[in-house]
Amino acid sequence: MDCVIIGGGVAGMRAVLSFRRQWPDKTITLIDTEKEIGYYRTLLPQFMNRTLPENKLFFWQQQDDPRVRVISGVTVESIDRKNRTLFLSNRDSVQYRRLLIASGGRPIVPAVCRTAGGEGIYPVRSLAVARAARDWLPDHPQVVILGGGLVGVKTAAHLAGYNISVTLVEKEKQLLPQALSKEASALVEAELREKKIRLLLGSTVEDLRFNRGALSGVRANGAWISCQTLFVAAGSLPEVAFLSDSGLLQDGRLEVAASLQTSDENIFAAGDAVTIVDNGAFTPWTWPQAMVQGSLAAANLYAPTMSSLRCLSRVNAMNLNGLSLAVIGLPVAGAKRSVYSRPEAGIFRELYHVDGRIVGGALLGDISNAGRLHSLMVSSEPAGTDFNELLRPRLDSFAGTTSCCVKYNRRATLLSEGA
Amino acid sequence: MKVIAVHLDRCTGCKTCELYCATERGSNGKTLLRAVQERPLPQARVRVEGSNEVPVAMQCRQCRQAPCLDACLTGALRRDGESGVVVIQENNCIGCWTCTLFCPYGVIYPWPQRKIALKCDRCVYMEVPVCVDVCPTKALELIDVDQYEDLLRVKRAETAADLQRKNRLDGALLLDLVERAGS
Ligand SMILES: Cc1cc2nc3c(=O)[nH]c(=O)nc-3n(C[C@H](O)[C@H](O)[C@H](O)COP(=O)(O)OP(=O)(O)OC[C@H]3O[C@@H](n4cnc5c(N)ncnc54)[C@H](O)[C@@H]3O)c2cc1C
Ligand code: SF4
Ligand code: SF4
Repeated sequence: MDCVIIGGGVAGMRAVLSFRRQWPDKTITLIDTEKEIGYYRTLLPQFMNRTLPENKLFFWQQQDDPRVRVISGVTVESIDRKNRTLFLSNRDSVQYRRLLIASGGRPIVPAVCRTAGGEGIYPVRSLAVARAARDWLPDHPQVVILGGGLVGVKTAAHLAGYNISVTLVEKEKQLLPQALSKEASALVEAELREKKIRLLLGSTVEDLRFNRGALSGVRANGAWISCQTLFVAAGSLPEVAFLSDSGLLQDGRLEVAASLQTSDENIFAAGDAVTIVDNGAFTPWTWPQAMVQGSLAAANLYAPTMSSLRCLSRVNAMNLNGLSLAVIGLPVAGAKRSVYSRPEAGIFRELYHVDGRIVGGALLGDISNAGRLHSLMVSSEPAGTDFNELLRPRLDSFAGTTSCCVKYNRRATLLSEGA
Repeated sequence: MKVIAVHLDRCTGCKTCELYCATERGSNGKTLLRAVQERPLPQARVRVEGSNEVPVAMQCRQCRQAPCLDACLTGALRRDGESGVVVIQENNCIGCWTCTLFCPYGVIYPWPQRKIALKCDRCVYMEVPVCVDVCPTKALELIDVDQYEDLLRVKRAETAADLQRKNRLDGALLLDLVERAGS
């Protein structure tokens, strides 16, 4: 077998497609623990609230391609690098010439939530779990979500309002603590409260209560909350435990260079599983990064000269069922901060900058010009000195157009007459 | 592949392209009078940016390696096989705005009122793009991307001469190249 890919998430799937295009004569095997693969993980909240039909969840259908072999519902348990062999949970083994590890992440489940046998606890990550939660929710509509990061906030915003009552528990004193400043997150908090979501900030889940094997309550901050469904969205860790005896991990991390090659020249890795070591350690945790890395890793597998990742950033955008939010880059301690704020219109835009270069920032309520600001940040180009002007929202069409264009329209008419 | 080129030296910032794009491609009424009364307000896929002194009509460059395509969370963005143009399938777009963060030119716009992203598709199913058709100074032109280098050479020579003659400080922008006086 020429190439084996572990993981059929977006990084692995994208790698399959790129690999087939680039090396049409080579064979490829894709192995994944999940039975259903090639779906939009990012859309699981919309799938759980039933606004997204199942047929729109998948981006890939298995085709009759003799050079692609898919082994789904099977886990890679360990790897023997000397003999280039993978050992699988179904007791089979698979050999590889080149290997791409795209095993993604796994949700962090705090010890208190790991109670065996109790129904109603769902870590938000896989389709199988989302499907079970979707079927469970109609009869168990009192929901607690543990974790106020991206996944928790998204899940809360999409579940609220569908005959479901939602309480969000976050251990920090603000939502999205890693992505937003306190001021910016206040807007997100207001939006979620508007949706009747109860926020317990600075709290954590301390205990669970069960009634006949099903969840009936959650204790947070010393008080019991009646609840039949608990979504765990307390962050993720790279899914690399199966590599622990392989010698590929450094301090438990699967480190790769900017070419996505690991310390073994025949093994590459991409997506949420990796820690990229290039000017500091970095795990992207975003869909666009996984997509780009899947392609790049596949292209580098057999390339005589390898390319490097160009853009490394942890940007993210969201539409919280009403509030638009774009994180251009995380808040940077010690950087200067410029702000554009119109609280009456629900708009807050901030940029962090050092020596005239954008190093982070977020736009809420009005995210116009986000692409340009993000591109200025990743290129490290000087953004000038007028950050207030950069932060000013761009006008919609028609707004302000008719008044300001009269003069210039006249100029255009004169010019065209002269032509 | 055909793309829309912008002659910066001819763009006066009159926004005729914007108004007609919003009306023709974004409104139900298809006349300016009706369009301004519609809610949500129709939106244009071309926007005139820059200062009043150096205005420039900006629309999608139909990048060969389009970052927006890689960023889309739902596959709503795809490349049209025949024309090579990047199009949005509106019924698959969930308005998550991820693509808007990744377009380096800032020319995919969020349209929160309709919960979809908006971008120029070069009016791929029409004979001529509306903006090209209506621009009074012919600042917008539909060109073959292979003509690009040739046009650029002519433009550079013209601009240098023009700048010298008029001692003007604005420049010429064609596709993604900005030239400024003295550079
Ligand atoms: C609910 C939710 C919402 C999100 N929303 C956004 C968003 O709005 N924007 C954004 O940018 N990102 C978002 N993300 C993050 C984004 O989904 C991930 O960054 C992306 O899916 C990572 O892709 P990946 O291919 O690296 O890993 P994954 O998608 O995790 O795929 C890894 C695959 O490998 C398989 N696997 C793991 N170990 C093994 C093994 N030992 N053997 C065989 N198979 C194995 C797994 O079963 C899995 O299918 C969201 C994530 C979640 C859960
Ligand atoms: S929208 Fe932006 S990134 Fe996408 S093809 Fe157009 S110019 Fe390129
Ligand atoms: S806004 Fe629409 S087109 Fe853009 S990334 Fe989201 S789903 Fe794709």
